[in-house]
Amino acid sequence: MPVDLRESRLPGVGVKYTFRTANGGRLSVILHIDGQREIYYYRRADDDEPTAVIELHDDEARQLGAIIGGAYERPKIVEELEMALGELHIEWIPVPDTSPAIGLSLADARLRARTGVTVIAILREPEPVSGAQPEDVVQSGDTLVGVGKAGQFAAFRRLLAEGPFGGEP
Amino acid sequence: MTLAELAVTIAVLGVLGLAVRGLGLSAIPAYLAAGILLGPNEPREIVLISPSEVTEFVAELGIVFLLFFLGLEFSLSRLRSAGRHAGLGGVVDLAANFSLGLVVGIAAFGVSFAAVILAGCVYVSSSAVAAKGLTDFRRLGDDETDLVLAILVFEDLVVAFLLGFAAAGGGEPSDTLVLVAKALGFITVGLAASRWLARPLDRALDRLPLEFFLLAVFGFLVGSAAVADELGLSEAIGALMAGIVLSETSVREQIEERFFSFRDIFAALFFFVFGLSIDLTAIRDVGWIVALAVALTLTGKLGGGWIAGRVAGFTSRQSLNAGVALVAHAEFTIILAQLASGNASIDPGQREDLLAFAGLYVLATATIGIILMKESKRLGRVLFPSPRPRLQEP
Repeated sequence: MPVDLRESRLPGVGVKYTFRTANGGRLSVILHIDGQREIYYYRRADDDEPTAVIELHDDEARQLGAIIGGAYERPKIVEELEMALGELHIEWIPVPDTSPAIGLSLADARLRARTGVTVIAILREPEPVSGAQPEDVVQSGDTLVGVGKAGQFAAFRRLLAEGPFGGEP
Repeated sequence: MTLAELAVTIAVLGVLGLAVRGLGLSAIPAYLAAGILLGPNEPREIVLISPSEVTEFVAELGIVFLLFFLGLEFSLSRLRSAGRHAGLGGVVDLAANFSLGLVVGIAAFGVSFAAVILAGCVYVSSSAVAAKGLTDFRRLGDDETDLVLAILVFEDLVVAFLLGFAAAGGGEPSDTLVLVAKALGFITVGLAASRWLARPLDRALDRLPLEFFLLAVFGFLVGSAAVADELGLSEAIGALMAGIVLSETSVREQIEERFFSFRDIFAALFFFVFGLSIDLTAIRDVGWIVALAVALTLTGKLGGGWIAGRVAGFTSRQSLNAGVALVAHAEFTIILAQLASGNASIDPGQREDLLAFAGLYVLATATIGIILMKESKRLGRVLFPSPRPRLQEP
């Protein structure tokens, strides 16, 4: 189920992410400019006062994030999700600033034909491209989301970083 | 000011700062109060420090650093991301409070440039006090906090413009217009430079060893302040621009980190030095202006904030919280008055009154504002009784 995450900037303070939890509560996470994090929990979404506030240093926040994200112990549901993908992996590959692929469309770069990895989406500011099309052009600063087999990503990264593009493989 | 006096001053400011922090109040009015107590004017029980060239210079550095940091936070992308709230809420706040400020100003000084400066002093809320209160009182998670901070960004923008001619405007109308044009031009150049110069600056600053990095940034800051001063714009606007130019570079965070402590020390000294010049007996002359201004501020900020909140779709209680967070005035009120105090086209009596007014007004609103913020939710429950119990019935 997609979570309706709202991002808002707090000028001079940092960034705030807010979402409603399935049991009717509200959770706000504030990333302070100085690295401090705060988690505000409201038991009911329209409560006046937070039920609890948790303050975390940068390292504590990262640790907590890893635990919640399942880096230590994978919840059953995540394992099942990976089963569904089987041998396929999804990876996020940032486009290097010097990549010769910048300016080429996905079709012209022939990334899939040459490595087996399919680009399914492109993350970029301000608007990500979901469902990348062959005519979408790779831009500086993009992160490509690719689906492929585990062994194919190394070649993909190398091709993206060094080319060559244009000639026949 | 000797080294020994400076040491005593810093010690006093440190202890006071800690004490008010323990009470949950903002440090700025405490620094002001320390200046009033230890300065040569009434009360004269303790006269420790007298204004001198040194104190003036220290105060000037305080302004330069405060404005530099404002500039660093000021980039185009951040202004845009402050988003929809900033526009509408900011305009409501400006319309309500600048005009009420003008009423006070005209009542105090007649139709004059001093009245405009006073209006600016009454208009601009304190970002520093508000941000501290919102953090301390656990309000950052509240939705209306976004509105408050966006309005503060808008105010800073307007005040940056006011700072441009506070120090020298108000003479011949044509001169003032030229000055306004210069200030606008200066800020525009700064914003353009931040966009186009970010990369080359980045590359240059990134390669410098730390020692020279600090010197280069500090030199650029002071140089920019000096240039603005020469153009007749005030050092404040120059420092602001230096910050804006560097705001889009990747070394911004590093600069903030390295100069943070400079800002805090010199800003504290700036507020202290400002307090030195305040004579408490001035209450006899400006007391009524302060009282009127505080009353109208409460009206304008609570009313304006409430309207801005309701327009943006918040509940009555949330809108009250938003207005309350805007009551405290501090750093920019003081900076405006300080800059205007060097303005030859304002009548000397009015300049003195402006200084005393700003000091007392900040003492009053910063204290009232923080207390109101602390109690605003309780106040909201009393003023706007909750319809929730009925809604909760199955």
